[in-house]
Amino acid sequence: MKKEWLARLLVLALVVGFSAAALYARWADRTLEVHAAMPEKGGWLPNTLTARADEPLTLRLISDDVVHGFAIGQSDQQPSVDILPGKPVEITLLFDKPGTYTYYCTRWCGPNHWRMRGTIEVEGDDSSLANDPSGPVAPPLYLMLGIDLDAPHDVQVDVTRQPSARRGAALDTNLPAEMLSREYVRAHSPYEVWQTLRETPAASPLSDADLWDLVARLWERSTTPDALQTGAQLYAQNCATCHGTTGAGDGVFAAALAGETSATPISPGLGHETVAPTDFSDPAHMLGASPALLHGKIIRGGMGTGMPSWGLIFTDEQTWALTDYLWTFTFQFQFKETTP
Amino acid sequence: MMKSSPALLRNAVFLAAALLVAFAPLPLPQTPPAERTFRIDATQFAFAPAVLTVNPGDRVTIELTSLDVVHGLYLDGYDLQISADPGQTATMTFVADRAGSFRFRCAATCGDLHPFMIGKLHVGPNTLLWRSIGLALLAMFAAVMLGMPRLRKA
Ligand code: HEC
Ligand SMILES: [Cu+2]
Ligand SMILES: [Cu+2]
Repeated sequence: MKKEWLARLLVLALVVGFSAAALYARWADRTLEVHAAMPEKGGWLPNTLTARADEPLTLRLISDDVVHGFAIGQSDQQPSVDILPGKPVEITLLFDKPGTYTYYCTRWCGPNHWRMRGTIEVEGDDSSLANDPSGPVAPPLYLMLGIDLDAPHDVQVDVTRQPSARRGAALDTNLPAEMLSREYVRAHSPYEVWQTLRETPAASPLSDADLWDLVARLWERSTTPDALQTGAQLYAQNCATCHGTTGAGDGVFAAALAGETSATPISPGLGHETVAPTDFSDPAHMLGASPALLHGKIIRGGMGTGMPSWGLIFTDEQTWALTDYLWTFTFQFQFKETTP
Repeated sequence: MMKSSPALLRNAVFLAAALLVAFAPLPLPQTPPAERTFRIDATQFAFAPAVLTVNPGDRVTIELTSLDVVHGLYLDGYDLQISADPGQTATMTFVADRAGSFRFRCAATCGDLHPFMIGKLHVGPNTLLWRSIGLALLAMFAAVMLGMPRLRKA
């Protein structure tokens, strides 16, 4: 009799013990599942996550349809990972500062791909913020200059040939010293600089077209081959779908944006007007825009025009690299893109 | 021995004819190898164009452009693979040194009908079809001829 009771007790203990262990394992495994789907079908699920500063956050990324990617905006702590359907991937993130972070899809999963974003709220004691060495972030240049991003900036210009930085460099004209600074270039449109040059006595023997070459040279001087290379890469990954590989505004999704028929129309439910992507090779449009304006537009986006806002995705350095690169479509720089 | 020799000869003739039909080199005009570039548009769930024809020895470049989601292209037989995001054209270049027909398929899961996203690369004219028709005819003819004496005996 006693033995039977013992056996029963043993079985009971085993059953209870095993289930408790399984439950504990589940509870202890703090891996969060994040599903990725095309934005029309819900995008990220969930699209808000919470974490604590200095505590690892493990995510299990699962694609429910096509190829997606995952990265954290304005940070390189997590290199972009691909999320292939049927092959979940696990990543572990560690945030050392509290704040709001953006995660976004890095593979084009449809015309609305760029809408696929989510936020991670990282909590922590504010003391870690106080001794943040990077200090408060300066507002973008367009705000400091008071530029209205939505004011039309087209100019009537008569450029008979594409302005060339090489020809400009060959002219060997003494340019006013103030123009040689990067800050000057960023705050002015090429047209404004051209007009100022036209009134400079030193430039009076030069033709109008020569002056445009000088302006192109000034713009080239304000950037570096490294920045242009970074810009070229970011542009190919994020912008060419709409603005086209040659900057002419003829990317594969341009027709869908302009409201023409397309296999995958941009979902009207997501709210946007039908505007064609900007043609960066059109002088009338570009020569009236300052780099600060373009930079601002990249940060803020078109607010419903189909131009995404990138402020939460790129670092300020990356945004300037993109801005610099956009000018290669307008001006001939002596820059040759190297393909990796 | 003597008796069986005509039968043996006949069999040998059929065999030789079959080998000829199957493997004889055709007096085709030998085209000099050329550079060929194909631009393939990939959409859910098709390649356009889906059939490529090249001559053996051609240097083939395939530019894959996606118009909606990430697609890929895996070429059977040559074991080559690329993948293209919309806006980022991907290219592969190879020398078509293996003759025959090879299937290519999408190499990135792109939706429900992804497994049906396929195309074909023909390297050289498709002689396989004609040869198999020839062989079938020969087999029929042989069956009739070989069956005859037995019929007579019966
Ligand atoms: C989904 C399509 C789409 C993508 C992707 C896109 N753009 Fe745009 N972009 C547009 C449209 C449409 C416009 C014109 C409407 C507007 O100005 O708001 C535009 C306008 C702009 C302008 C404003 C030009 C001006 O003169 O006002 C800039 C600058 C720009 N894009 C830069 C970029 C950069 C840089 C990227 C990549 C990081 C990018 N765009 C990605 C659609 C897109
Ligand atoms: Cu995506
Ligand atoms: Cu596909």
